[in-house]
Amino acid sequence: MSEDKKGGIKRRDFLKIIGVAGGTAAVASSCSEPVEQLIPYVIPPEGIVPGVPNYYASTCRECPAGCGIIVKNREGRAIKIEGNPENPINTGSSCARGQAALQGLYNPDRVRSPLSNFNADKLQPVGWEAAQKTLTEKIEELGGSGNIVFLSNHISGTLGKLVDEWMDALGGKHIQYETFAHEPLKEANRISFGIDKIPTYHIDKTNYLLSFGADFIETWLSPVEYTKQFSKMHGVKDKQVGRFVHVEPRASLTGSNSDEWISIKPGTEAMLALGIANEIVSSGQSPNGGGGLGGMLSQYSTDKVSAMTDVPAETIKQIAKDFASMGPSLALGGGVSVTGTNATETLVAINILNYVAGNIGDTVDFGDTLNISNVNSFQDITSLTKSMENGEVDILFIYDVNPVFTLPKQLNFKDALGNVKYVVSFSSFMDETTEMADLIMPNNTPIESWGDYSSRESVNGLIQPVMSPVFNTKGTGDVILSVSGQVEKLNGRFTQTTFYDYLQNSWKEIWAGASSGSDFDTFWKDSLEKGGYYKDVSARPVSISGAVSSVKFNEPEFVGEGDFYFMAYPSYRYYDGRGANKPWLQELPEALSTGVWSSWVQIHPDTAKKLNVSQGDFLSIESSEGVIETQVYVYQGIRPDTLAVMIGQGHTSYGRYAKDRGVNPIDILPMSTDERSGGFAWLSAKVSAVKVSKSEQFVQTQYTTHQHDREIAQAISLTELEKGIHHDDHHSDADFYPPREYHKYRWGMSIDLQKCVGCGSCVTACNAENNVAFVGKQLCAQRRDMNWIRIERYFEEANNSAGFQTRYLPMLCQQCGNAPCEPVCPVFATYHNPEGLNGMVYNRCVGTRYCANNCTYKVRKFNWFTYKWPEPLNWQLNPDVTVRSKGVMEKCTFCVQRINHAKDLAKDEGQDVSDGAFKVACEQACPAEAIVFGNLEDKESEVYKQSHDDRGYQVLSFVNTQPGITYLRKVTQYEESKESHGTKNHKDHTG
Amino acid sequence: MSQQNTLTYARVNDDVIRMLDKPTFKWWALFLPTLLFVGIGAFCFIYQVQYGLGVAGYRHPVFWGVYITDFVFWVGIAHSGTLISAVLFLFRANFRMSIYRIAEGMTVFAVLTAGLFPIIHLGRPWNFYWLFPYPNQRELWVNFKSPLLWDVFAVSTYLTVSSVFFFIGMIPDIAAIRDRVTETPRKIIYSILSLGWKGSNWEWLHYTRAYLFFAAFATPLVLSVHSVVSWDFAMSNLPGWHTTIFAPYFVAGAIFSGLGMVITLTVPIRKIFHLEDYITMDNYDGMAKLILVTSGIVGYAYGVEFFMAWYSGVPAEWYQFYYRATGEYALFYWIMIVCNVIIPLPLWFKSMRSNIVVLFIISIFINIGMWFERFNIIVISLSRGFDPAAWGIYQPTWVEIGITVGSFAWFFMFFLIFLKTLPSVSIAEMKEILPVPKKEAKT
Repeated sequence: MSEDKKGGIKRRDFLKIIGVAGGTAAVASSCSEPVEQLIPYVIPPEGIVPGVPNYYASTCRECPAGCGIIVKNREGRAIKIEGNPENPINTGSSCARGQAALQGLYNPDRVRSPLSNFNADKLQPVGWEAAQKTLTEKIEELGGSGNIVFLSNHISGTLGKLVDEWMDALGGKHIQYETFAHEPLKEANRISFGIDKIPTYHIDKTNYLLSFGADFIETWLSPVEYTKQFSKMHGVKDKQVGRFVHVEPRASLTGSNSDEWISIKPGTEAMLALGIANEIVSSGQSPNGGGGLGGMLSQYSTDKVSAMTDVPAETIKQIAKDFASMGPSLALGGGVSVTGTNATETLVAINILNYVAGNIGDTVDFGDTLNISNVNSFQDITSLTKSMENGEVDILFIYDVNPVFTLPKQLNFKDALGNVKYVVSFSSFMDETTEMADLIMPNNTPIESWGDYSSRESVNGLIQPVMSPVFNTKGTGDVILSVSGQVEKLNGRFTQTTFYDYLQNSWKEIWAGASSGSDFDTFWKDSLEKGGYYKDVSARPVSISGAVSSVKFNEPEFVGEGDFYFMAYPSYRYYDGRGANKPWLQELPEALSTGVWSSWVQIHPDTAKKLNVSQGDFLSIESSEGVIETQVYVYQGIRPDTLAVMIGQGHTSYGRYAKDRGVNPIDILPMSTDERSGGFAWLSAKVSAVKVSKSEQFVQTQYTTHQHDREIAQAISLTELEKGIHHDDHHSDADFYPPREYHKYRWGMSIDLQKCVGCGSCVTACNAENNVAFVGKQLCAQRRDMNWIRIERYFEEANNSAGFQTRYLPMLCQQCGNAPCEPVCPVFATYHNPEGLNGMVYNRCVGTRYCANNCTYKVRKFNWFTYKWPEPLNWQLNPDVTVRSKGVMEKCTFCVQRINHAKDLAKDEGQDVSDGAFKVACEQACPAEAIVFGNLEDKESEVYKQSHDDRGYQVLSFVNTQPGITYLRKVTQYEESKESHGTKNHKDHTG
Repeated sequence: MSQQNTLTYARVNDDVIRMLDKPTFKWWALFLPTLLFVGIGAFCFIYQVQYGLGVAGYRHPVFWGVYITDFVFWVGIAHSGTLISAVLFLFRANFRMSIYRIAEGMTVFAVLTAGLFPIIHLGRPWNFYWLFPYPNQRELWVNFKSPLLWDVFAVSTYLTVSSVFFFIGMIPDIAAIRDRVTETPRKIIYSILSLGWKGSNWEWLHYTRAYLFFAAFATPLVLSVHSVVSWDFAMSNLPGWHTTIFAPYFVAGAIFSGLGMVITLTVPIRKIFHLEDYITMDNYDGMAKLILVTSGIVGYAYGVEFFMAWYSGVPAEWYQFYYRATGEYALFYWIMIVCNVIIPLPLWFKSMRSNIVVLFIISIFINIGMWFERFNIIVISLSRGFDPAAWGIYQPTWVEIGITVGSFAWFFMFFLIFLKTLPSVSIAEMKEILPVPKKEAKT
């Protein structure tokens, strides 16, 4: 062995040391997670700078509303979706479903490659070439007859055009099916105004909004847009607020945000609308004198209507008075409660009401109409099913629809599907319909593909790929073009070989129509950048047609013998069921019940008593079509004669998060249709209900409905608002310590409770931005959910017609100036940063959890386990935020990564961060614009102004935590009776 | 002098050293199960480290549960040991002589047990040393504002001082054993432990001064350590915790529970080793009176808490106490009241104080009651904080039960080893209260 003196250490010794050190390290590291390797790029991809995100404008396809989105891409992966401020529909906001589209993209249960059953009954992976060859052969073999149907959802843009052309060439049919197609609305407008379109509404321009069942905050037409408009209308401006009255047999999330919830006898909304119209006309309050409808309306005297609808005559008179006098007003009709067998008539009645109050053309806009009115009617779907059943369909293409799940069982779509010779699904998810297909050619999700979508006249949204496909999937447009190239009959039919070319070609028409003066490339790039092409569409003058006077307003028909009306309502979290495979949405607490990961039936307390059930018990609900068994949620916001179950759960397939969870209420709906429009009648079942001997914990995130005198979600009456509020300001001289001083920045937030609607999009946005783990039902049942924001909801006794008022309050870390969590941490893992944030150093935390015990607001969440994101859901994780492991406390830090990013950018420009230069995730998402974030040291900032609003208060301020969040009180519009909420009569369920 | 019997210096030596004879079958029958349960507890802890604290019953918002209950319980048990050995020494209360060694042993082992729990309850127990202020290249320091850090110092100081005091008090006795034993290994060990004690006047002079000094040094710890432990709660703002009464209330409770544990331990020892002549009924009478006093203080505190909650006018505070007595945990609350306030009441009667069976039964109930007192303070307060939306209910799991049982086994394991290796009655001090032996007249 050669002696080497230079190194001072012998090679053998070095190895020994390494051996010992390595062994020690191995022992030490056995407690924590295994080491992961970082592998640098050998040749870095172009356009990707590590650490610098790229943003792509696109269009959301989670529901037919078609909001504009901006997708953030880091190192080649889409990690966050935000609303596109350029898009006139959502102007920058988004809903929880839109946020969760990423969990569709990265869903671990996606179809990962084409599947075919060519060998056996089992679907087996095949390559794209083989799959396309199989399809080509099938088209050659079976296509001759022309019995080909392409069943898609509402694809209004270029892909729809391509499919139309393709079907034309093959002699087939393209049927567009939407679960909620709003046919009655279209038909009612045809009858009333001669326009078979669905208009857009201008809720923001109204002072008085009367909604007949329209759940515009949840799923109706364009929820983000209408929530935003509603918050403008209902928010406080110049000490005034708009009034919102909701008429429905149950107070939905939308209804719970109303100033008055009118609990109406199911199916009698037409009578109420006409009664109000009559009251307006007969009392001479109609600006157009009733427009000749006075005679017809006079049959609907207030007393008669009151008797039919269960709405007191007083209330009808009051509504009529306000509706006419508080103009501009607007009556909306929609949602399942008015979609019975008399749906069209009801909507005609509502049109009449709008007409006599002079709202048409003012707050109802027939210029910019919605394209969803172009989808096929329910009758088309029925006849398609018939012909499938009779073996008259040879090839059925399924694109982005799940009719086996969303159609009533009585229609037997599933069996009919079995009679189709060859079923091809383009779905990216193994849902109930797709699993019956013979060939699955998984489509890219909208985040991975080119496309466009036009939800209305004024908007042509572009969809662009934000990243390369996660799995071996292929855009359906490309598949169609490439298969067409192989089918002999279609040779030369399409000049383009890729869908991208086809799309551009199709946009040349839009370019031509736009007459923008620039060349196409500029127009294209400009549109891509803005997320689409937007134009102004002027309102179209309309007048009432004489046909309305011939409409007979019938009583609705109900099928079944039971005692209860049955409402299957679309869920704002799952829409028609398509959201159920996304854990963020499953774990987003439903606003009214705070329930997660399951289904339940809403039931009135009196009915619950009568049926001898309490929360958590199971109820068997039987209609003429079948039985479902689901858990009871006792809710005072529903009529005693009505039961309601949300749509979206009860999947028998569709991936691990959706499968075998809850019930699908559509299963027991009878096949009734609205007579005039042929649309499906959602509210047509009468059911019986009996208790079954099964009971489980009702898994929710808030086990009390009551504030217990804590005055957390506060409200003031309108009179107080007008008079001005007396302030009990905190006196800083009472403090032992001098106040903290901040230089330049003190980050703060204001949350306007008059605007917050409790939709939870902030929660999902926060989860996406901050790598907040989802934990599943079992851990939620143990109160171990990790959401950093919780929407607290309280039912306060109120002197209104419902007897209660719902208050929502988003609770997140208050970033206290005098934070109780900070001094108690023994290791400085949580500390006060110079900008007023309660910083949290995850690496330093040893997990004493004292901070959480001492947190007045209980907004800290502890990692009881190391939570896993199944591959590839973990691709979504934000690289700017630490992923926490077991034993560590975590909490909101006002998106400190965004603050730092903004400061970096400002520093580059030699400036301070200006107000509004960036938004935190929850604020960015909030469709109601209830959340304002900014610098409290800047006296010009919006958040400073909001925080010093008359209505401002800080939750539990008497503890002297000096929160950085100011809440603005909700405004109650009824005469405040004496505050009466004792603790005695409230028994809370706890879990 | 109370010892009007046939105890002589020689007999004391014989009796005490006889206890250190080869372990009998009975001893093994007690000792082996403790090893088994310590093993079970260790398994539970390893399991918890592997999978995360979620295997315990913790949930939002109850972030502390059985482990901290156990911690406070064991720290409390430790207290009366020091009280009996140090405080009563300073007061020259002779009834301590026979029991103080057992009480001191109990103190040391209880602190050893208590000290485990802050580590067991950590989310990342492998980083427990971050709680100590040690110089490091990352320039990380601890937060001296945090009551948890005060806890670290209080408990480690207490362990150090009580161990030293325990050991110093034993030096003359160990020397006596050293002189008696013949087998080689024991002889060597006792020789080392006796520090070469010869029993000279000079040695006695310094020894008694040193003992007095340590007694005086340990005395404030009786008050301070449990006050510091109580500040873990009192320093926070949680309704049910945020109260100034906690320090005296906890100290009284600690002495109360410690005395209970002393009786629970000494009654069987007295019976098994036939120490009736050493641990007399007068000793028990003294302890029973102390129990009455501390039970009274604790009972008063329970009442005052309600009064203050009502008087404060804070709904959250009032609801907390209303809930304690009527909510989901009401059973535990009433167990606490019955065990700590009602059951000790018979001790007002002399006949009860001198009935060993009654004392033993009451002491068991005190142990139970005081464990639940800590559980109630910790868990019920946490489950009903300021914000009703965040309320929740906690239930311990098998892991927590396993570790709790393991902690009792751990304590008894040390205690059983102590009984067989060290003098459990002070030979030297017993002799102080015995009549001086008369020299036999020779012709």
